[in-house]
Amino acid sequence: MSEKLILALPSKGRLMEQCATALARAGLSVAKSGSVRGYRGEIAELPDVEVNFVSSSEIAHFLQQGTVHLGITGEDLVRETIPDCEARVSFLKRCGFGHADVVVAVPICWIDVGSMADLEETSLIYRRVHGRPIRVATKYMNLTRRFFAQRGVAGYRIVPSLGATEGAPAADLAEVIVDITTTGATLRANGLKVLSDGVILKSQANLIASKLASWSDGARQVKAAMLARLSCWDWEPSAPPQSKR
Amino acid sequence: MIAESAQRFEALEAQAQRLLASFTRAGYEHVAPSIIQPANMFLDVVGESLRARTYVFTDPGGDELCLRPDLTVPTCRLHLARHPQGAVPARYCYNGSAFRYQQGGDTSAHPREFRQAGVESFAAADREQADAEVLAIIVEAVRDAGIASFQLRFGDLGLFRALLGALSLPERWRRRLQHQFWRPDAFRAELNRLTSAAALRAPALKAEVIDRLDPDQPAGAQSEVEAYLERAGLTLLGTRTLPEITERLLAAAADARESPLPAATANAIESYVAVKAPARAAVRELNRLLRGHRIDLSEPLQAFQRRLDDLDTAGVITDEAEFSAEFGRNLEYYTGFVFEIVVPELGPKSPLAGGGRYDSLLAEVGAPVAVAAVGSCIHTERLLAALQGTAA
Repeated sequence: MSEKLILALPSKGRLMEQCATALARAGLSVAKSGSVRGYRGEIAELPDVEVNFVSSSEIAHFLQQGTVHLGITGEDLVRETIPDCEARVSFLKRCGFGHADVVVAVPICWIDVGSMADLEETSLIYRRVHGRPIRVATKYMNLTRRFFAQRGVAGYRIVPSLGATEGAPAADLAEVIVDITTTGATLRANGLKVLSDGVILKSQANLIASKLASWSDGARQVKAAMLARLSCWDWEPSAPPQSKR
Repeated sequence: MIAESAQRFEALEAQAQRLLASFTRAGYEHVAPSIIQPANMFLDVVGESLRARTYVFTDPGGDELCLRPDLTVPTCRLHLARHPQGAVPARYCYNGSAFRYQQGGDTSAHPREFRQAGVESFAAADREQADAEVLAIIVEAVRDAGIASFQLRFGDLGLFRALLGALSLPERWRRRLQHQFWRPDAFRAELNRLTSAAALRAPALKAEVIDRLDPDQPAGAQSEVEAYLERAGLTLLGTRTLPEITERLLAAAADARESPLPAATANAIESYVAVKAPARAAVRELNRLLRGHRIDLSEPLQAFQRRLDDLDTAGVITDEAEFSAEFGRNLEYYTGFVFEIVVPELGPKSPLAGGGRYDSLLAEVGAPVAVAAVGSCIHTERLLAALQGTAA
């Protein structure tokens, strides 16, 4: 990878459309190159940028490994995927779209549970009655472990969930979930509520640089040119998630 | 970690054989539990924090398995496979690999693949004697290996339990403080809550339900809660039951009516937690402290003393062993005496050996009754590093 800068963008869904719109607002027109169904693209105004269209979670992996220089993806995925996140990537700009909160949610009928401390105490009784720890369904295993450890909640087990996590309690697959929500409507429709101190991360899409990519002088210049274009995105880079209660 | 050199492998093997020989001489049977363990049962027992460091995988048949993160739980399972009733006295020793993900990277002081050589003693009638025996065997093995100077660190979670038992406070508070003990922040927060009348009476969740519950009449509480759920249009979702929800609401109702924990009692608990002194001096200090608070812990303190005497008889010099009431807070499955052997070459963050009493683990692994258990293991890579002066 000599002088080109590789930018990874989401390959599908709303995030892909929102990326294209936001880049267009900055005067950057992204176009797929080669075959119509291809996963490569280019930016007419920045010829030294090579665009890779990949899934949002793969973007986090690529940033971690340094196989791409820059990427736009959800902060939640990056913090979940990359254990020592601050050492491997820099959050350059918040994009102002792709908002989602990663939250801890429990059944609304648990009228005795409103906080993480309640949850911990509940888990003691649950273990005594059921002979096993409370199960937490999530695809955010690392975010969940870090957050639960910070809040002193230990009596639980994670059940990996790859989709429709909000249905896990009703299906008796888990008692608690950690999932993303924007309005909370899906959670409510599934009989769930967010704990009062159960917001793990207020996430949105970010422009992120990999510290491990091979940053040639050329790539640095392209990055500077691109950031200059994006100065119309007025958002500050994301602050690290709160680590104290 | 750098691939192990043949020489290093031989050195570790030779060292392990010496350790095992000294364990078997002491009457401990050499066992070799499986490296690959069923993930579910194992992880239910060790908790999510160790799970985060456990290598878990699914085999082609779809079974969830893991590489054992320690040898204690596998040895418990091996014992129960032989003696399903559990409470059969047995003494085992082992030398084998264990595997843990290391967040700080794979280093020589904290390798992701390491060998534990250790002993476990189950269902011994005299607990203090068994504690002393296990520690004495480990100390002797470490000395035999060539470590001349080391520091012993002691803790005793049983003493803390005894302290709570001797204080006058509701059983549910006792359980809660006991449970929070190993999380200093949560522990402090709970103690603050219990000493504050306002916090105890703070408008708890669903005050309208809690106000209707009479902690002295638990029988009627469940239908009260059920009626409330019905009025609110809430149906039970998932596996958690109405009695569980009621139990917590009743506890909140009882808390709201309880007088707060007297400051003197909270003070006694905090002074206990702060005790840190050479073991025998610590016993004197605890005696003095507790007398001042008119708390009688003479029996458990005599047991503690007896354990020290047993250790001295066995040739373990306890004069300079440091007792810390807080020590053991971060080790979840221990229930009583806990200890570590620390050497200056490696520092306190990389103990050479550690162990303690864990009287509830066998029942969690499937024994029908609680089985007394105490064990310890030596981190053999660290032992070798300390001997060769190659500590990281």
